[in-house]
Amino acid sequence: MRGLCSRRMGSPGEGGAVEPMISVRGLWKVYGHRAERIVGSPEADLPRRELEARTGCVVAMRDIDLDVAPGEVFVVMGLSGSGKSTLVRCLTRLIEPTAGTVTIGGVDVTAATDAQLLDIRRHRVSMVFQHFGLLPHRTLVDNVAFGLELQGADKRTRRATAASTLELVGLHGMGASKPHQLSGGQQQRVGLARALATDPDILLFDEPFSALDPLIRREMQDEVIRLRRDVRTTMVFITHDLGEALRLGDRIAIMRDGRFVQVGTPAEVVLEPADDYVRNFVRDVPRSHVVPVAAIMDPLGEGPYAGDVAAETKVRDIVARVAVSEHPLRVVDADGAAVGCVDRIAVLSVIANEDL
Amino acid sequence: MAVATASTATATAPTFGAAASRRWTTPTLVFVALVAIAVAVDPDVPDWLDVGLQTWVRDRYMWTVQNSNTSWLFTGVFNPLSDAIAWCVESVQWVLRGLRYPGVLALTGAIGWMTGGVRAAVSGVLAVLGVAVLGVWDPAMVTLSIMLTAVAIALLIGVPLGIWTARSDRAERVVRTFLDTAQVMPAFVYLIPVTIFFGIRYPPAVVATVVYAVPPAVRLTSLGLRQVPTVMNEVGESFGCTSWQQLVKVQLPMARRTLLLGLNQVIMMAFAIVVIASLLGADDLGNLVLKGLQKNDVGAAFVPGLAIVLLAVALDRITTGERSASSRPPLVRLPSVAWRTGALIGLGTVVVATLVAKVTDHTALPGALTVDISGSINDAVGWVQDNIRKDVPIIGGTESINDVLVADVLEPLREFLVWLPWLLIVVTTAIVAYLSKGWRLAAGCALCLAAIGTMGDIPGGEGGRTQLWDLAMDTLSQVLVAIVVSVAIALPLGIWAGRADRVQRVLRPFLDTAQVMPQFVYLIPVLFLFGAGRGAGVVASVIYAVPPCIRLTSLGLREVPIAPREAAISFGATRRQELVKVQLPLAFRAIMLGINQTILMVLATVIIAALVGAGALGLVAYEGFAKPIQKIGQSAAAGLSIVGLAIVLDRITQAWGTGPDRSRRE
Ligand SMILES: Nc1ncnc2c1ncn2[C@@H]1O[C@H](COP(=O)(O)OP(=O)(O)OP(=O)(O)O)[C@@H](O)[C@H]1O
Ligand SMILES: [Mg+2]
Repeated sequence: MRGLCSRRMGSPGEGGAVEPMISVRGLWKVYGHRAERIVGSPEADLPRRELEARTGCVVAMRDIDLDVAPGEVFVVMGLSGSGKSTLVRCLTRLIEPTAGTVTIGGVDVTAATDAQLLDIRRHRVSMVFQHFGLLPHRTLVDNVAFGLELQGADKRTRRATAASTLELVGLHGMGASKPHQLSGGQQQRVGLARALATDPDILLFDEPFSALDPLIRREMQDEVIRLRRDVRTTMVFITHDLGEALRLGDRIAIMRDGRFVQVGTPAEVVLEPADDYVRNFVRDVPRSHVVPVAAIMDPLGEGPYAGDVAAETKVRDIVARVAVSEHPLRVVDADGAAVGCVDRIAVLSVIANEDL
Repeated sequence: MAVATASTATATAPTFGAAASRRWTTPTLVFVALVAIAVAVDPDVPDWLDVGLQTWVRDRYMWTVQNSNTSWLFTGVFNPLSDAIAWCVESVQWVLRGLRYPGVLALTGAIGWMTGGVRAAVSGVLAVLGVAVLGVWDPAMVTLSIMLTAVAIALLIGVPLGIWTARSDRAERVVRTFLDTAQVMPAFVYLIPVTIFFGIRYPPAVVATVVYAVPPAVRLTSLGLRQVPTVMNEVGESFGCTSWQQLVKVQLPMARRTLLLGLNQVIMMAFAIVVIASLLGADDLGNLVLKGLQKNDVGAAFVPGLAIVLLAVALDRITTGERSASSRPPLVRLPSVAWRTGALIGLGTVVVATLVAKVTDHTALPGALTVDISGSINDAVGWVQDNIRKDVPIIGGTESINDVLVADVLEPLREFLVWLPWLLIVVTTAIVAYLSKGWRLAAGCALCLAAIGTMGDIPGGEGGRTQLWDLAMDTLSQVLVAIVVSVAIALPLGIWAGRADRVQRVLRPFLDTAQVMPQFVYLIPVLFLFGAGRGAGVVASVIYAVPPCIRLTSLGLREVPIAPREAAISFGATRRQELVKVQLPLAFRAIMLGINQTILMVLATVIIAALVGAGALGLVAYEGFAKPIQKIGQSAAAGLSIVGLAIVLDRITQAWGTGPDRSRRE
């Protein structure tokens, strides 16, 4: 499956050429009695409290459309109660959606038989949970081997894979411990290792690092960035931390009251917020942190150039380089072709606008 | 099962390779040697082991009989105490009589209304009205007055003790040990010493009930106070509360729900025991049941039995208001500002009802309104005897089931246990205890069992004398069979209910009702269907023990945190794998504690089943009340043997349930 992964373009969502890894159409989740009648009805647009008083139903997620390209990291962010967990759980039907379809790698999950569903969960998708969800009565090795055990792998392979995966996340030699002997950060490493051990095509993260302190959170984010770079696994990442979203996401969806209010690249979200809700969110984000040099580059000139810089590099990362050099930097795309240049003035104008 | 737990229990030390084998050699050698000794020596309990307990107790009893009017112990302590208790009971009775049935009905309604709204009031009043209709009002009021006195005393003792244990860990440990042991004993056991010191009728019944009702009072008071979050205590302290203000203004109000739940439990516990304490000769409902059972007159036992059920339901309904309020709101709830007004209205209704009754001279329900159903019950018994006990196609009828149970299961097992060398049983139990927890438990259990061997013998049986040990094996055989059957029924049902909401919903009302029934009443329908005997005893135990076991298993499964379950499903666990790999291991302790409860309930019921012909230790213990002068000695010996069995069964199964906590911190 991994062989199918395309190389990522600047903004994979727009690609359209490759078939998406995850495709969601018109997905709804309504809690309550006879929830189906709410879907698409005018009542669904009532304010939450009124709807609940009138029908006893709660709309946790409404009419979500979403495509995630192979190898893409899609981040969903929103405040508590906005329906993020509901969305990510509906993807593998941990929560049964009320309406709509989910397709994963070409298989219609919402219409799948029990056997197909088990196959998807066992082989293609793994999940990392906010509260870790480790099995307290098992050792770390057995926790990590859990997915393989359900796949039916024999004990030797299982243990070997689990041990090497534990090593990968930096828990070498702790395989015989029990989860409660670990710190929160270590426990979540185990959670990550468990998800990686089955070598899935898709990783789902539900606020995996919310319970961790800032330093460890950063370390874990680096771990995810490394995964994205080396393994190119498709990821759906839930968070309520904007910094995390901007760091990790190829694209970010902002969720509010169960619907997407904006979907776009980090730069789009920060520079062109769709409404006041999003604007409030991103107000404090320095633009230089999200704007890639590709967005501010000028056409290629005569030169000379002080050096090359990749198109997706963020502006703040080249501040030091343009400061020490008279000449502009040459911007190159993923294939190494020069596509433009960026100079001190362009960088300064981004920074100067930050407080607006 | 014991083995599995033991291996995790020792998991703190390395369990691999040489170290492990060394760890196991010593115990193995010791036990092999012990087994060899046990098999080699006399298989029967030797006569010289008799420590003469029976004569000693009888002598003490004779002394109390002769000195009850002269010794300071009686004139100065027990007699005044008994008189005071009797006075309390009679005062409560006087009040209840003064209220007459309309007043009592109004009072039930008022309490129910204030605690749980209209629903509680209506069901409470209907249940009490049922008691009146059955024509057993006076004995019911006697039962109620004994119970109310006992509850009052239990609260007076239990709540301060609970507050104390909540504030001191030392006190908690000491008191806990006593309470745990007190609750393990079947109520029967208390009746013997209590009769010696408190005479007959009300006082011993009240005292025996208090012994049972104090533990839940202490436990839930302490639990409630300890559950108050530390931060609230700190808030109180930071504002300069004294320790007393802290208790009254912060802790008690915050612990209110648990305390009210405790009150409900104390009342239900007291009620169940009061009914049994009627063996001591109070003229209450339990005594009516007992008389019926002894005459094998099902109809006569059924009416007071039904009244007990109705009273239990009424008491439960009007004291659970707070608890049910969370799950389903009462139809009409009093706004809190109107509480005082509500109380006044309630009180007013009670007074008016009482006055009206007094003026119109309504002492009891008019004869036309009461129904005597004992005749029709006896007709039904006749019909059952003719139609259900025998020759039912396929299942063969209850009597045949009973015969098979006795002849093919209970009797062979009893004979086998009696045939086994007695020391071998002691040693085997010690081994199981060792594997479950360790040397201390092993030694304790061996001592408890060996003590039964020192109880001597009683007249009767082959050769004119029967060792109490052999009777204990009879009781044990009944307990074992009842446990196996109960667990075999309850565990699958509990698992099913723990996973399927619909099953839980269907079972819920049955479990709730079963929970408030005194075990005594289960004997009646069983006697009705199966006839007297050991089979009936086992069946009654099973009926009594299955509901709590189902409830605790289901609860255990449901309390498994959602996070690991959801994770398992996300990795593609089937429903079955989720159960086997996640839920059962994580609910293991809870389920084991459920089984521990089951065992204690089975034991208590098997003992009481002596009243319907199950014989064994229970019967010997019971005979002491009937003819104390001749039989008090052997009755005490049987009582102590029951205690020995109870402690062994309880502590071993408790060790299974309190082994290393595998779900800690998750
Ligand atoms: N079982 C349920 N029954 C009724 N409503 C529910 C249920 N589960 C979730 N909800 C509602 O659905 C909405 C979305 O919940 P969800 O857990 O998806 O939020 P979230 O965005 O993940 O929040 P958080 O950041 O706190 O995890 C919430 O308003 C919640 O109240
Ligand atoms: Mg969530």
